[in-house]
Amino acid sequence: MPETAISTLTLAHFLGIGAALFALGVIGFVTRRNLIVMFLCTEMMFQGVVVTLVAFARFHMNTTGQTFVIFVLTIAAAEAALALALVVLLFRRQRTLDASAWTELRG
Amino acid sequence: MTTPLALYLASVLGAAALLLAMPRRGRPLVPLGTLLGPFLAATTLGLLWLLLAKDWLTTGDTGLEPLGFAYYYVFGGISLLAAGRVITHPKPVYSALWFILVVVSSAGLMITLSAEFMALAMLIIYGGAILVTYMFVIMLASQSAPLDSAEALPDYDGSAREPVAAVAAGFLLLAVLLGVAFDPSIERNPDAAVPAAEVAALLPERTAQGESSWLTSTPTDPTSAEAAAQAVEVSNVERIGVDLFTGNPLAIELAGVILLMAMIGAVVIAKAQPPSRSDDSGGMGAGPGAAPGANPADAPPSADPLRAEPPEIGAMSAVESPA
Repeated sequence: MPETAISTLTLAHFLGIGAALFALGVIGFVTRRNLIVMFLCTEMMFQGVVVTLVAFARFHMNTTGQTFVIFVLTIAAAEAALALALVVLLFRRQRTLDASAWTELRG
Repeated sequence: MTTPLALYLASVLGAAALLLAMPRRGRPLVPLGTLLGPFLAATTLGLLWLLLAKDWLTTGDTGLEPLGFAYYYVFGGISLLAAGRVITHPKPVYSALWFILVVVSSAGLMITLSAEFMALAMLIIYGGAILVTYMFVIMLASQSAPLDSAEALPDYDGSAREPVAAVAAGFLLLAVLLGVAFDPSIERNPDAAVPAAEVAALLPERTAQGESSWLTSTPTDPTSAEAAAQAVEVSNVERIGVDLFTGNPLAIELAGVILLMAMIGAVVIAKAQPPSRSDDSGGMGAGPGAAPGANPADAPPSADPLRAEPPEIGAMSAVESPA
């Protein structure tokens, strides 16, 4: 199967999906008050970035974008582990997942 | 109507749809708002698809397979609708399930882009490992109240925080990004504009010819015909592996160190016993996720120095001190 680079217009379509996923993740991170759902929204922002990276990899006809996705996955896994451990710790302290229960951390 | 203007209009419509679908305690913003939101979202996506399809079909050469754009529309629509549902569903478990749908449809988009390894890695790591971890934490950290009805939801799940400002800011960001992505003044692949000698000077080991010889069936590198003939059969996984281990050996080591640190850190954080709150009866300090053997509630409360402190002071020391 001969592969060709996608055109600029096609790249824009995939960038649009990635940007929409990222923007929806930002909106969810700001609006939701549940700590778990907030971190889920950061994972959705990662998804948008990953779609963008893979589309750029196809556009430039190399695998650098896909290689970078592996590191994005690494960071996402580390972030999920640490964030969920923190969420469990915070829940055991205050018996709630409300992010506004920790407003004293603003200082 | 030009494409950027249509995209801005679609952003406004999508923002309105998302605003109507936000979870809201009490009465909705407009009557039938919960029905109008998904309807408006579907209408937005449909109009957007029609506009983009017109744009796409007139130019023809997309670089995708002949049916690639159909798959793009299907997977893109599913991923956007599921993403909207992730951030509007009041129950966290269902948000996580909708996020799995986002991951699956994103994997479909990557297969459309002929990135098979990335698609399957996404499914395994995100849809499998990370989402199962989320599910466990949701179950560990759930309230004991029954979650059958909407009234039983805790208040922080039932109502969004500053939905109007957040949706306006988010879709302003999206409109700017879409305007840049669909900018008609960007016409060509910029790789074609860079001379090969300049690329070779900047990246001596990775010229444009060397990269394209991995991919194209008609290799442009005349010096190694048999290497190019082998390169035709190189799969996506092998290409990524070569690029990963020849280009970024130090980054792989650092990624391993980061994963190890995250694992140790997660164990340390999750094992730290929080001091019980002053209004707790003594057994509430350890959550349902704590191991029974490590529960300091077995000891008398006065023997634990962390428990003697007020919660404001002991809040940070419990993390740092070895429990």
